[in-house]
Amino acid sequence: MTATDDDLLVAVAGLYADLDPAPADLAEGVLARLAVEDLETEWELLTLVERVDTRAGTRGAAKPETSNTVALEFAGTTYRVLVRIHHTDDGARRLDGWVIPALPMRVFLGPPGDTLGHTRQSAYADRDGRFEFPAPMSGEARLWLLPQNRHGDRIVPPFVTPPFLV
Amino acid sequence: MATHGAPGGPTSSALYDAATDAFRRWRAGEDAALDELVRTMSPVLWHVVRATGLDREAAEDVVQNTWLTLVRSAESVRDAQAITRWLCTAARREAWRVSKSVTRTRPVEDEVLDARLPVQTSPESEVVTNDEKALLWEALSRLPERCQRLLRIVAWEPRPDYSSVADTLEMPIGSIGPTRRRCLDKLRAELGGSL
Repeated sequence: MTATDDDLLVAVAGLYADLDPAPADLAEGVLARLAVEDLETEWELLTLVERVDTRAGTRGAAKPETSNTVALEFAGTTYRVLVRIHHTDDGARRLDGWVIPALPMRVFLGPPGDTLGHTRQSAYADRDGRFEFPAPMSGEARLWLLPQNRHGDRIVPPFVTPPFLV
Repeated sequence: MATHGAPGGPTSSALYDAATDAFRRWRAGEDAALDELVRTMSPVLWHVVRATGLDREAAEDVVQNTWLTLVRSAESVRDAQAITRWLCTAARREAWRVSKSVTRTRPVEDEVLDARLPVQTSPESEVVTNDEKALLWEALSRLPERCQRLLRIVAWEPRPDYSSVADTLEMPIGSIGPTRRRCLDKLRAELGGSL
Protein backbone atom coordinates (compact mmCIF):
# COMPACT_ATOMS: atom_id res chain seq x y z
CA MET A 1 0.00 0.00 0.00
CA THR A 2 1.32 3.43 -0.88
CA ALA A 3 1.95 5.82 1.97
CA THR A 4 -0.18 8.96 1.99
CA ASP A 5 1.36 12.42 2.23
CA ASP A 6 0.39 12.56 5.87
CA ASP A 7 1.97 9.15 6.57
CA LEU A 8 5.19 10.35 4.99
CA LEU A 9 5.22 13.65 6.86
CA VAL A 10 4.54 11.97 10.19
CA ALA A 11 7.43 9.59 9.51
CA VAL A 12 9.71 12.48 8.45
CA ALA A 13 8.84 14.44 11.59
CA GLY A 14 9.60 11.39 13.73
CA LEU A 15 12.88 10.79 11.93
CA TYR A 16 14.12 14.33 12.57
CA ALA A 17 12.96 14.12 16.16
CA ASP A 18 15.29 11.12 16.51
CA LEU A 19 18.20 12.36 14.41
CA ASP A 20 18.35 15.96 15.50
CA PRO A 21 16.32 16.31 18.66
CA ALA A 22 15.85 19.65 20.34
CA PRO A 23 18.23 20.02 23.31
CA ALA A 24 16.64 18.53 26.43
CA ASP A 25 16.89 21.87 28.22
CA LEU A 26 15.67 24.00 25.31
CA ALA A 27 12.44 25.08 27.00
CA GLU A 28 14.19 25.66 30.34
CA GLY A 29 16.74 27.85 28.60
CA VAL A 30 13.93 29.86 27.03
CA LEU A 31 12.18 30.32 30.37
CA ALA A 32 15.42 31.40 32.06
CA ARG A 33 16.04 33.87 29.25
CA LEU A 34 12.53 35.29 29.55
CA ALA A 35 13.04 35.69 33.28
CA VAL A 36 16.30 37.56 32.71
CA GLU A 37 14.64 39.74 30.12
CA ASP A 38 12.02 40.67 32.66
CA LEU A 39 14.70 41.41 35.20
CA GLU A 40 16.53 43.84 32.98
CA THR A 41 13.90 46.46 33.64
CA GLU A 42 14.18 49.07 36.39
CA TRP A 43 13.93 47.60 39.84
CA GLU A 44 12.95 49.38 42.98
CA LEU A 45 15.20 48.33 45.83
CA LEU A 46 13.23 47.63 48.99
CA THR A 47 14.59 48.37 52.45
CA LEU A 48 14.75 45.96 55.37
CA VAL A 49 12.60 47.49 58.10
CA GLU A 50 12.33 44.68 60.60
CA ARG A 51 13.83 41.32 61.46
CA VAL A 52 12.46 38.96 64.12
CA ASP A 53 14.07 35.64 65.11
CA THR A 54 11.88 33.08 66.83
CA ARG A 55 13.12 29.82 68.24
CA ALA A 56 10.51 27.22 69.13
CA GLY A 57 10.84 23.75 70.67
CA THR A 58 8.46 20.84 71.01
CA ARG A 59 8.76 19.51 74.52
CA GLY A 60 7.52 16.20 75.78
CA ALA A 61 8.19 14.35 72.57
CA ALA A 62 10.56 11.37 72.63
CA LYS A 63 12.92 13.28 70.41
CA PRO A 64 12.60 16.99 71.03
CA GLU A 65 12.75 19.09 67.90
CA THR A 66 13.43 22.72 67.62
CA SER A 67 12.80 25.06 64.79
CA ASN A 68 13.91 28.53 64.00
CA THR A 69 11.91 31.09 62.11
CA VAL A 70 13.29 34.34 60.83
CA ALA A 71 10.72 36.90 59.82
CA LEU A 72 11.84 39.77 57.61
CA GLU A 73 9.91 42.78 56.50
CA PHE A 74 10.92 44.83 53.52
CA ALA A 75 9.29 48.04 52.41
CA GLY A 76 9.30 50.21 49.31
CA THR A 77 7.30 53.22 48.20
CA THR A 78 4.09 51.30 47.59
CA TYR A 79 4.63 47.68 48.58
CA ARG A 80 5.73 45.73 51.59
CA VAL A 81 7.08 42.20 51.46
CA LEU A 82 7.02 39.90 54.48
CA VAL A 83 9.28 36.88 54.33
CA ARG A 84 9.48 33.93 56.70
CA ILE A 85 12.38 31.52 56.62
CA HIS A 86 11.69 28.41 58.58
CA HIS A 87 14.52 26.05 59.63
CA THR A 88 14.18 22.76 61.48
CA ASP A 89 16.93 20.76 63.20
CA ASP A 90 16.89 18.10 60.53
CA GLY A 91 18.12 20.69 58.06
CA ALA A 92 14.84 21.30 56.24
CA ARG A 93 14.12 24.85 55.13
CA ARG A 94 11.07 26.59 53.85
CA LEU A 95 10.57 30.12 52.70
CA ASP A 96 7.22 31.77 52.31
CA GLY A 97 5.95 35.30 52.19
CA TRP A 98 3.32 37.86 51.36
CA VAL A 99 3.17 40.93 49.25
CA ILE A 100 1.05 43.76 50.63
CA PRO A 101 -1.12 44.98 49.00
CA ALA A 102 -1.79 41.63 47.36
CA LEU A 103 -0.91 41.42 43.70
CA PRO A 104 -0.24 38.44 41.44
CA MET A 105 3.51 38.29 40.93
CA ARG A 106 6.27 36.14 39.63
CA VAL A 107 8.81 35.77 42.43
CA PHE A 108 12.43 34.77 41.91
CA LEU A 109 14.85 33.64 44.59
CA GLY A 110 18.55 33.62 43.79
CA PRO A 111 22.07 34.63 44.80
CA PRO A 112 22.53 38.42 45.00
CA GLY A 113 25.01 38.67 42.13
CA ASP A 114 23.15 36.30 39.85
CA THR A 115 22.66 38.35 36.74
CA LEU A 116 22.26 35.41 34.39
CA GLY A 117 19.16 34.09 36.04
CA HIS A 118 20.07 30.45 35.59
CA THR A 119 20.32 29.66 39.26
CA ARG A 120 17.15 31.42 40.25
CA GLN A 121 14.19 29.56 41.60
CA SER A 122 10.79 30.91 40.75
CA ALA A 123 7.31 30.85 42.22
CA TYR A 124 4.07 32.68 41.71
CA ALA A 125 2.41 34.91 44.25
CA ASP A 126 -1.31 34.23 44.09
CA ARG A 127 -4.13 36.76 44.19
CA ASP A 128 -3.73 37.00 47.95
CA GLY A 129 -0.11 37.94 47.42
CA ARG A 130 1.20 34.73 49.01
CA PHE A 131 4.17 32.83 47.65
CA GLU A 132 6.23 29.88 48.81
CA PHE A 133 9.51 28.15 48.12
CA PRO A 134 9.19 24.71 49.76
CA ALA A 135 12.89 23.89 49.22
CA PRO A 136 14.72 27.21 48.90
CA MET A 137 18.39 27.58 48.08
CA SER A 138 20.69 28.25 51.04
CA GLY A 139 23.10 31.09 51.67
CA GLU A 140 22.89 34.72 50.77
CA ALA A 141 19.94 35.46 48.54
CA ARG A 142 17.50 38.08 47.43
CA LEU A 143 13.99 38.07 46.08
CA TRP A 144 12.98 39.68 42.81
CA LEU A 145 9.28 40.41 42.58
CA LEU A 146 7.78 41.00 39.20
CA PRO A 147 4.16 42.18 39.15
CA GLN A 148 2.15 40.45 36.47
CA ASN A 149 0.83 43.50 34.72
CA ARG A 150 -2.00 42.85 32.41
CA HIS A 151 -3.64 44.83 29.73
CA GLY A 152 -5.61 47.62 31.35
CA ASP A 153 -3.84 47.35 34.69
CA ARG A 154 -1.88 50.19 36.16
CA ILE A 155 1.77 49.39 35.41
CA VAL A 156 3.52 48.41 38.63
CA PRO A 157 7.32 48.44 38.42
CA PRO A 158 9.18 45.37 39.70
CA PHE A 159 11.09 45.42 42.95
CA VAL A 160 13.91 43.55 44.62
CA THR A 161 14.90 42.96 48.25
CA PRO A 162 18.37 43.62 49.60
CA PRO A 163 20.41 40.44 50.20
CA PHE A 164 19.46 38.32 53.21
CA LEU A 165 20.53 34.95 54.55
CA VAL A 166 18.42 31.84 53.91
CA MET B 1 -1.28 33.26 2.15
CA ALA B 2 -1.11 29.74 0.82
CA THR B 3 -1.65 27.02 3.35
CA HIS B 4 -2.10 23.32 3.54
CA GLY B 5 -3.61 21.02 6.13
CA ALA B 6 -1.75 19.79 9.17
CA PRO B 7 -0.02 16.49 8.54
CA GLY B 8 -1.29 14.98 11.75
CA GLY B 9 2.14 14.20 13.19
CA PRO B 10 3.89 16.02 15.98
CA THR B 11 2.15 19.09 14.63
CA SER B 12 -1.21 17.44 14.84
CA SER B 13 -4.34 19.28 15.79
CA ALA B 14 -3.78 18.20 19.42
CA LEU B 15 -0.55 20.18 19.63
CA TYR B 16 -2.05 23.07 17.72
CA ASP B 17 -5.05 23.12 20.07
CA ALA B 18 -2.81 22.90 23.16
CA ALA B 19 -0.77 25.88 21.95
CA THR B 20 -3.86 27.93 21.14
CA ASP B 21 -5.39 27.15 24.51
CA ALA B 22 -2.21 27.97 26.45
CA PHE B 23 -1.76 31.24 24.56
CA ARG B 24 -5.36 32.24 25.22
CA ARG B 25 -5.01 31.52 28.95
CA TRP B 26 -1.71 33.39 29.15
CA ARG B 27 -3.25 36.45 27.55
CA ALA B 28 -6.17 36.18 29.93
CA GLY B 29 -3.75 36.52 32.83
CA GLU B 30 -2.74 32.96 33.70
CA ASP B 31 1.02 33.41 33.98
CA ALA B 32 1.95 29.74 34.15
CA ALA B 33 0.29 29.16 30.77
CA LEU B 34 3.26 30.85 29.10
CA ASP B 35 5.53 28.12 30.50
CA GLU B 36 3.16 25.55 29.00
CA LEU B 37 3.22 27.29 25.65
CA VAL B 38 7.04 27.43 25.72
CA ARG B 39 7.29 23.72 26.53
CA THR B 40 4.76 22.78 23.85
CA MET B 41 6.09 24.87 21.01
CA SER B 42 9.88 25.05 21.55
CA PRO B 43 10.55 21.60 20.02
CA VAL B 44 8.49 22.57 16.97
CA LEU B 45 10.41 25.82 16.61
CA TRP B 46 13.64 23.86 16.90
CA HIS B 47 12.86 21.83 13.80
CA VAL B 48 11.55 24.84 11.93
CA VAL B 49 14.79 26.70 12.65
CA ARG B 50 17.12 23.78 12.03
CA ALA B 51 15.46 23.28 8.65
CA THR B 52 16.85 26.68 7.66
CA GLY B 53 20.34 25.23 7.93
CA LEU B 54 21.53 26.99 11.10
CA ASP B 55 23.81 25.06 13.44
CA ARG B 56 22.51 23.84 16.78
CA GLU B 57 23.95 26.68 18.86
CA ALA B 58 22.59 29.39 16.58
CA ALA B 59 19.26 27.57 16.41
CA GLU B 60 18.93 27.63 20.18
CA ASP B 61 19.54 31.39 20.20
CA VAL B 62 16.96 31.89 17.49
CA VAL B 63 14.37 29.91 19.45
CA GLN B 64 15.05 32.03 22.54
CA ASN B 65 14.83 35.27 20.56
CA THR B 66 11.55 34.18 19.04
CA TRP B 67 10.03 33.85 22.50
CA LEU B 68 11.42 37.23 23.57
CA THR B 69 9.76 38.73 20.51
CA LEU B 70 6.47 37.15 21.46
CA VAL B 71 6.61 38.39 25.03
CA ARG B 72 7.45 41.90 23.86
CA SER B 73 4.77 42.04 21.22
CA ALA B 74 2.06 39.60 22.25
CA GLU B 75 -0.55 42.22 21.37
CA SER B 76 0.35 41.79 17.73
CA VAL B 77 -1.07 38.26 17.77
CA ARG B 78 -4.67 39.21 17.17
CA ASP B 79 -6.04 35.73 16.83
CA ALA B 80 -5.05 33.08 19.40
CA GLN B 81 -5.57 30.41 16.76
CA ALA B 82 -2.78 31.99 14.77
CA ILE B 83 -0.19 31.56 17.52
CA THR B 84 1.58 28.50 16.10
CA ARG B 85 1.94 30.13 12.73
CA TRP B 86 3.01 33.42 14.30
CA LEU B 87 5.75 31.66 16.29
CA CYS B 88 6.99 29.51 13.42
CA THR B 89 7.04 32.45 11.03
CA ALA B 90 8.84 34.68 13.53
CA ALA B 91 11.38 31.90 14.16
CA ARG B 92 11.97 31.35 10.49
CA ARG B 93 12.38 35.05 9.78
CA GLU B 94 14.83 35.42 12.67
CA ALA B 95 16.73 32.35 11.44
CA TRP B 96 16.83 33.81 7.97
CA ARG B 97 18.14 37.12 9.33
CA VAL B 98 20.85 35.33 11.34
CA SER B 99 21.89 33.11 8.45
CA LYS B 100 22.16 36.15 6.20
CA SER B 101 24.39 37.89 8.70
CA VAL B 102 26.78 34.94 8.94
CA THR B 103 26.52 34.23 5.21
CA ARG B 104 26.31 30.54 4.84
CA THR B 105 24.65 30.50 1.46
CA ARG B 106 24.71 27.50 -0.75
CA PRO B 107 25.03 28.68 -4.34
CA VAL B 108 24.82 25.22 -5.91
CA GLU B 109 21.44 24.66 -7.46
CA ASP B 110 19.46 21.65 -6.43
CA GLU B 111 19.14 20.53 -10.01
CA VAL B 112 22.92 20.14 -10.08
CA LEU B 113 23.02 18.43 -6.72
CA ASP B 114 20.09 16.31 -7.67
CA ALA B 115 22.06 13.99 -9.90
CA ARG B 116 25.21 13.93 -7.80
CA LEU B 117 24.07 13.81 -4.24
CA PRO B 118 25.65 10.78 -2.64
CA VAL B 119 23.96 8.81 0.07
CA GLN B 120 24.97 10.81 3.09
CA THR B 121 26.93 9.13 5.79
CA SER B 122 27.14 11.18 8.92
CA PRO B 123 27.16 10.58 12.66
CA GLU B 124 23.44 11.17 12.47
CA SER B 125 22.93 8.09 10.31
CA GLU B 126 24.48 5.95 13.02
CA VAL B 127 21.68 6.95 15.32
CA VAL B 128 19.19 5.27 13.09
CA THR B 129 18.82 1.71 14.24
CA ASN B 130 15.21 1.07 13.46
CA ASP B 131 14.96 -0.55 9.99
CA GLU B 132 12.04 1.50 8.80
CA LYS B 133 13.72 4.70 9.92
CA ALA B 134 16.99 3.67 8.31
CA LEU B 135 15.16 3.19 5.01
CA LEU B 136 13.45 6.53 5.35
CA TRP B 137 16.73 8.26 6.20
CA GLU B 138 18.40 6.75 3.15
CA ALA B 139 15.49 7.71 0.92
CA LEU B 140 15.41 11.23 2.31
CA SER B 141 19.17 11.60 1.91
CA ARG B 142 18.84 10.92 -1.79
CA LEU B 143 16.52 13.90 -2.23
CA PRO B 144 17.86 17.37 -3.05
CA GLU B 145 18.74 19.32 0.06
CA ARG B 146 15.99 21.84 -0.64
CA CYS B 147 13.49 18.98 -0.61
CA GLN B 148 14.85 17.69 2.67
CA ARG B 149 14.51 21.11 4.25
CA LEU B 150 11.05 21.76 2.88
CA LEU B 151 9.79 18.36 4.04
CA ARG B 152 11.23 18.93 7.49
CA ILE B 153 9.39 22.24 7.70
CA VAL B 154 6.02 20.95 6.52
CA ALA B 155 6.35 17.82 8.66
CA TRP B 156 6.83 19.90 11.80
CA GLU B 157 4.75 22.96 11.17
CA PRO B 158 0.98 22.74 11.03
CA ARG B 159 0.13 25.51 8.59
CA PRO B 160 3.28 27.21 7.39
CA ASP B 161 3.27 30.70 6.03
CA TYR B 162 4.53 30.03 2.52
CA SER B 163 6.00 33.48 2.00
CA SER B 164 8.48 33.03 4.87
CA VAL B 165 9.20 29.47 3.73
CA ALA B 166 9.92 30.87 0.28
CA ASP B 167 12.40 33.38 1.74
CA THR B 168 14.13 30.69 3.77
CA LEU B 169 14.50 28.31 0.87
CA GLU B 170 15.15 31.13 -1.59
CA MET B 171 12.38 30.00 -3.86
CA PRO B 172 9.47 31.88 -5.46
CA ILE B 173 6.41 31.63 -3.23
CA GLY B 174 4.36 30.13 -6.03
CA SER B 175 6.68 27.15 -6.30
CA ILE B 176 6.45 26.03 -2.67
CA GLY B 177 3.23 24.07 -3.16
CA PRO B 178 4.34 22.30 -6.35
CA THR B 179 7.80 21.63 -4.85
CA ARG B 180 6.23 20.13 -1.74
CA ARG B 181 4.19 17.85 -4.01
CA ARG B 182 7.25 16.91 -6.08
CA CYS B 183 9.40 16.24 -3.00
CA LEU B 184 6.77 13.99 -1.42
CA ASP B 185 6.40 12.09 -4.70
CA LYS B 186 10.17 11.68 -4.94
CA LEU B 187 10.36 10.46 -1.39
CA ARG B 188 7.54 8.01 -2.03
CA ALA B 189 9.33 6.75 -5.14
CA GLU B 190 12.64 6.40 -3.27
CA LEU B 191 10.92 4.39 -0.60
CA GLY B 192 9.42 2.10 -3.22
CA GLY B 193 6.44 1.23 -1.08
CA SER B 194 8.56 0.29 1.94
CA LEU B 195 6.78 2.65 4.35
